[in-house]
Amino acid sequence: MSTTTASSAGLPPKMPRAAFTPRLISLFSGTVGLVVKVALLSISNAFAIWAGYVLAQRHQWIGLIVLVVATVGIDLLYFGGRRVLPLKFLLPGVLFMVSFQIVPILYTIDVSFTNYSTGHISSKSDAIRQIQLNSLQPPANGKQYTMAAARDAQGKLVLILQDQANGETFVGTTKGLQPLPKSAVKTGALGITAAKGYRILKGNELFSLDSTIRALKVPTQGQSAISPQTISTAAELEPTLRYDAKAGTFTRITDGAVFRDNGKGSFTHGNQELEPGWKTGVGLRNFGSILNDPLVSGPFFRIFVWTFVFAVSVVFLSFAVGLFLAIALNKKGLRFQRIYRSLVLIPWAVPGFLSLLVWQGLLNDDFGVVNRLLHLNIPWLFDGNWAKVSCILVSFWLTVPYFFLVSMGALQAIPEELTEAARVDGGGPFQIFRKVTLPLLLVAVSPLLIASFAFNFNNFNNIFLLTGGGPTQANQPIAGSTDILISYTYKLAIATGKGQDYGLASAVSIIIFVLVATISAVSFSRTKALENLN
Amino acid sequence: MRAKRTTALLAVVLAAMCAALAGSVKSAVASSKAGPTITIWADQDRKTAVAQLANAWASARGATVNVLVHDFGKIRDDLGTVAASEAPDVIMGAHDWTGQLAANGLVQPIILSAATKKNFPAYTLNAFSYGTAVKKLYGVPTQIENIGLIVNTKLVKVPTTFAQLESEALAFKKKKAGNLGIAVQQGTNGDAYHMYPFFSGLGGYIFGVNKAGNLDPSDIGVANPKFLKNAALIDKWNKEGLINSKLDGSTAQNAFLKGQAAFWVTGPWNSDTLKQSGLKFAIIQVPKIAYPSVPFLGVQGFLVTKYAATHGVESLAQDFVANYISTADAQGALANASGRYPANVAAGKQFKDPVLAQFGKAGAGGVPMPNIPQMGSVWTDLGQAWVRSTKGAGASKAASSFKAAARAIADKIG
Repeated sequence: MSTTTASSAGLPPKMPRAAFTPRLISLFSGTVGLVVKVALLSISNAFAIWAGYVLAQRHQWIGLIVLVVATVGIDLLYFGGRRVLPLKFLLPGVLFMVSFQIVPILYTIDVSFTNYSTGHISSKSDAIRQIQLNSLQPPANGKQYTMAAARDAQGKLVLILQDQANGETFVGTTKGLQPLPKSAVKTGALGITAAKGYRILKGNELFSLDSTIRALKVPTQGQSAISPQTISTAAELEPTLRYDAKAGTFTRITDGAVFRDNGKGSFTHGNQELEPGWKTGVGLRNFGSILNDPLVSGPFFRIFVWTFVFAVSVVFLSFAVGLFLAIALNKKGLRFQRIYRSLVLIPWAVPGFLSLLVWQGLLNDDFGVVNRLLHLNIPWLFDGNWAKVSCILVSFWLTVPYFFLVSMGALQAIPEELTEAARVDGGGPFQIFRKVTLPLLLVAVSPLLIASFAFNFNNFNNIFLLTGGGPTQANQPIAGSTDILISYTYKLAIATGKGQDYGLASAVSIIIFVLVATISAVSFSRTKALENLN
Repeated sequence: MRAKRTTALLAVVLAAMCAALAGSVKSAVASSKAGPTITIWADQDRKTAVAQLANAWASARGATVNVLVHDFGKIRDDLGTVAASEAPDVIMGAHDWTGQLAANGLVQPIILSAATKKNFPAYTLNAFSYGTAVKKLYGVPTQIENIGLIVNTKLVKVPTTFAQLESEALAFKKKKAGNLGIAVQQGTNGDAYHMYPFFSGLGGYIFGVNKAGNLDPSDIGVANPKFLKNAALIDKWNKEGLINSKLDGSTAQNAFLKGQAAFWVTGPWNSDTLKQSGLKFAIIQVPKIAYPSVPFLGVQGFLVTKYAATHGVESLAQDFVANYISTADAQGALANASGRYPANVAAGKQFKDPVLAQFGKAGAGGVPMPNIPQMGSVWTDLGQAWVRSTKGAGASKAASSFKAAARAIADKIG
């Protein structure tokens, strides 16, 4: 790695053989570099044009502007001179961070201030249209018709209708039904094929008029009207609700009950609600319910404590054991060193999803291997406290290889002179480890410990696949004994009310984010102190 | 250097122009293609059958279809988040999604002709109907499924009463260490679906029905008085070891296939396993306990999405679902492809599969799973009530477990 050996003599003085990185840079600044640059930029531009085309088609103007600015920026930047050199390295990272970190966080924050949940996912105008559609009902003795859309002699759109019950034939217009002689209408397997004096619409002519034909209503009696249902059938329907566009209310026709916009994304009358509702801002209501709703706030503190205990114990147990194994297997002259090391890495090599499910089977208290082999009768998964132990143990098993690898790397980076000097000074092995190795090791490893803590704090997979958060506790509807904050959030999001409450779940996620960020920030500042000590 | 830079810029511009040209040519081709296209989401197992049916329908109508494979378990939730331009016009779905989909305004009401309606058992249509104000039909049922009690007839006699079932199962369990009573799957997370025959047999129900004939989420029958009166039986079963919540799906299946369990509660998704097992078996409904021990019924079918209207193909999509998928021929083809009983009565008469026919009989009088979105709050708690009261030693009293579950469910529904 040292540069001294690399810059040997014998090469022309104009091109001194530099270290790997500068050589790489020089390689890429010539024609090769230019070609690569042009190729990459072309790909990026072609991609941007395709994306821009799609965005323009969908009228996503904000997205389009962002895209154009970013693409032009990238082009200018990479053709810019030396002055913008640092930016050339920063920009890709920044772009990826913005799109994969910042945008999801902003989106979560945005959702947390809305009522986005089952029944509240569309826009208000969509909801009104759907309510009107859902309110249609066949009147008493409502008739069903075989139908064909047609044009009359003047080219006006009409419906040729045949009563499915008695075979009577009509022509329907917006003015009403006109009888047609039965003999004038011919029918086939797919419905009406011809009508005298009318031209039946077929194929693309028919399909392209879909919304026009569906909007055609043939009034019968009262509020009822015949409207097309499929390409070949129509039905007589009657609205049960009337929408007043000016007042923005629905009125039930049978009893005159008025359904008003309740400001929370629904039309309501007393405790009756029209479905669907729509997505709308609700201010701090979601955060309010975290504080005030006993269902949500009740178990929050207890879950927080358990989440903390879980994350801390998994990280420290696996670090301790990983470090121990690393030291033990680092011993020089150990036979079968490679085999031992590979064995330690096995839990990491097996996909976690799989091994978690396997562990679930192994730990089953009546039928599982663990209890049978050890002749124990421990309720590993069916007792709240034992389930917690199981969660920690299995996560520990999955995390040890990581800390084994990390510690092994860090140990090898500690200069041997230091430990040797300590030995010469008369330090025992334990003393050397405590006073020399561990502090030096911690400088390298503590950021990883913090990262691992943050990861385990939100380790949804391990909990969800092993215990599903269970077993449940008496008098606690949502959170099970082993639920950590993130799995609890998931349960809140999918298992309350009408099913899915993304708004509330987003609010809880933000709180978790703040918690993890605070804990990590505090720990990092502590780590800095550690570095200063050295 | 300047020249180089100019060439480079030119190259970039050129490449971009090429790409733009290619893109616009492709879209021009797409827009000039003849006829509207109906997009259908179907799962992997039924994709081929659905594509065959849809193509036959489309060529008769002069339209085109595009059948996309979509993981069945994700169809319901993905429909709410998919971009309108990518969204399907028709989906396959399970009846218990109806409430959530309709409450979200994602599916269109379907009107079946009187003649078509006659071809379907009333409960299958009811299963796809939802509405707090006006109840509407949102799907055309295609196939039905339910669980039954599989009896290994080599090991035990087919029981006719629950007392007989209980004594045979316990006698079999005592014969050898490792033998099970009734193999019904639960596991840590519980399984209210597979436990439902026992639940209904003791007098339990999930939601009551209000005057308008709709399921009433405020009337929760998980711990209704009739059920509580019989709940002590659960404690007895737990003590005897008749059922054990620690048994999960794969353990239950293995036990039955290895002859370590004479009774197994499962559904038609295991009919191939059963046929290939070489065991002699009969499929019956769990015998009546205090009330008929009926299973949950699951109905699957096709629904028209709101995007069909957005895409301007609603009449076609409605035609496919209401006038074509409902026919006996289409239903028969789908039933053969998926190994489930067809919903259409005429298709059912032609459908000959001895195992599925037995499953059909085991479902007599069954209850469709509630299709209102509030059902999401029920599964876990009901399942856990069973887990807690049948976990062997240390189990809590059934009456208190189910009362706690009922309270929890009521709290969650709010």
